Amino acid sequence: MVKRLSDMPEVEANHLRRIECPTYDDTPALAGKPLKERRVALISTAGLHKRGDRPFQPGDGSYRVIPAETPARDLVMSHISVNFDRTGFQQDHNVVFPIDRLRELAAEGVVGSMASVHYSFMGAFPPAAAEPHARHLAGLLKQDGADAALLVPV
Amino acid sequence: MGALGHFLERQGIPTAGISLVREHTETVRPPRALWVTFELGRPLGIPDDPDFQRRVLRATAELLERTDGPLIADYPEEVAGEADFTGWACPINLAPTSVDSLLAEIDRLATWHDRAIAATGRTTVGVSGLDMPAAGRLLTQALEGELPPAQALKEAVDDLRAYYLEAASAFPDAGTPAMRKAWLWDETLFGKALLTVQPKLAASGDPQHRILGNLTLIPATERHRLAKG
Repeated sequence: MVKRLSDMPEVEANHLRRIECPTYDDTPALAGKPLKERRVALISTAGLHKRGDRPFQPGDGSYRVIPAETPARDLVMSHISVNFDRTGFQQDHNVVFPIDRLRELAAEGVVGSMASVHYSFMGAFPPAAAEPHARHLAGLLKQDGADAALLVPV
Repeated sequence: MGALGHFLERQGIPTAGISLVREHTETVRPPRALWVTFELGRPLGIPDDPDFQRRVLRATAELLERTDGPLIADYPEEVAGEADFTGWACPINLAPTSVDSLLAEIDRLATWHDRAIAATGRTTVGVSGLDMPAAGRLLTQALEGELPPAQALKEAVDDLRAYYLEAASAFPDAGTPAMRKAWLWDETLFGKALLTVQPKLAASGDPQHRILGNLTLIPATERHRLAKG
């Protein structure tokens, strides 16, 4: 179990402390429909993509497209970082990319529906490199009727 | 991750995210975050535990209805730590011998990797587009001759790492993931090859080689092995 950085092994904590985090003016949290009426997309930053898609590279702020019906066996991970566990993903993709859980929440009526297409970035991006891609992505999400995104790190 | 919350919300898409490193989220201040205490790499907590994963995802989604952001909610459930594995030894004899080679080691693991695929129905190997002997040859080339392009070497190494760890998960007494990662670094020629090629990458004139050697080849938790030489 991990608590604060001060509770982590020193080597790991120091690595995380060295990561420079950007700061922003606060972004107002938008109001929206009740959850049970929303169409929800998953956005991972685990560097996931379909086997055969372009692997991620250092400094890469772009995203890869993961259609909802993508079989688990087609998913691979090309995140540049080696400082997180990958055995969980090797065992069960849902521990990183909970597409089956989102499908269940939609079936149970907790969320209205799931988007037809989901996305992955590679989280070690410089924010300025990802921003134009994220702007473009927002338009694609709206075209898909999505009115909420769940952001899943790695 | 948190930056995407700002970018998308400003474009009209409400967001809620999982936070694995609370200190980072407190700095970035995305609109809505659920802080979890899980291991990096496991944002939904526990593999093959759909109920647990569904509770985490539901708690994340339920934050969407809040407009009092930027907010960080604490997820109440934790994952128990792994048991101590002192004394565990890999039950399959993969220990290197003086006449052994990386390619022979890769070949010896093939049957275990096949078993792993049979068990899970999938493999996460397949970023580089190379088969495992070819990935091994690329790493051997990096050790013995000219360094290949950094991206090609990185992809081959990532595939080999996934191949080794997936194969080890199918050993008769597979132990825990932490044990298998320790095995990779303590006992395999592959682990030794990564430690041996690192100084060569770090000393290369190509900046991409240096990024690979200094940042994205050896995990921070294993870099102490480099000092030992």
